[in-house]
Amino acid sequence: MKELSLNILDITENSVKAGASLTSIIIDEENNVLKLTIQDNGSGMSEEILKGVTDPFYTTRTTRKVGMGLPLLKLAAEQTGGSMTVESVSIVDDPLSHGTKVEAMFYQDSIDATPLGDVVSTICTLIQGHPDTDFYFRHRILNQDKDILVEMDTRQIREVLDGVPLNEYEVIKWIEEYLNEQYAGPDDTEQDVT
Amino acid sequence: MKVSDLLNNGFEEITLPDGDREINGVYIGDLLSWVMGRAQQDNAWITIMSNINVIAVATLADTACVILAENVELPDDIKAQAEIKDVNVLKSSLPIYETAVRLHELLP
Repeated sequence: MKELSLNILDITENSVKAGASLTSIIIDEENNVLKLTIQDNGSGMSEEILKGVTDPFYTTRTTRKVGMGLPLLKLAAEQTGGSMTVESVSIVDDPLSHGTKVEAMFYQDSIDATPLGDVVSTICTLIQGHPDTDFYFRHRILNQDKDILVEMDTRQIREVLDGVPLNEYEVIKWIEEYLNEQYAGPDDTEQDVT
Repeated sequence: MKVSDLLNNGFEEITLPDGDREINGVYIGDLLSWVMGRAQQDNAWITIMSNINVIAVATLADTACVILAENVELPDDIKAQAEIKDVNVLKSSLPIYETAVRLHELLP
């Protein structure tokens, strides 16, 4: 993928397919290290299946023999000197507490690092495509010049909307602006006036 | 032109489980997700990448063969997977551009 945000989209689609009612996407950027965590409460995987998920010739898809989501994320992370791990608890083993957690670490100053890309559009695409499942998104950027925290929880938005579907055009537009405003940070010009 | 015809023409065999395949064009790229959606069936694919995902992408795009440029080596376990998955892999000592030019001279 030319952008990590496309990897995020790909992996999160797997969570939704695994029946997750809540998927968390957490990006932690501190100086040159980017940590990505995608955690869901879906049906999880057995230990045997888990062993094969980074092998591209393993897949849960029946239409083709190759699954590239996790192998490509792993490659993208390892190309920067980082790593990727997957943990999972199958619904069969624990009916109450199950799900999958994918964690990837990237060194962003590596010459082979993939840019993060347009995460806001990735989040909006996910909500638009799956208005009945919940997403929690958190992105922290911390370095010499910046200290930004962007957060969004569709469970809270859903409560306020009181029955309006999350994939209504105006709702998606609002979420997009809400996220972009948080990335822009507090409006300095307004403070100067007062 | 068959994949096996490339041997003795500046290309060296790494593994050729399906050497009789016809080549009908060339694709060049190292970003695997990009190649996955763009390489055409029966293309010879020139790359310098040599991990297991290369074999998977060659399977998905159904390329005629993978050509590793600049004498890039394929680890033995990945070579074994290529054999199992019927993926032809060759190598060239030339850089990517010169490898493509050589193919251009050979292809009808």
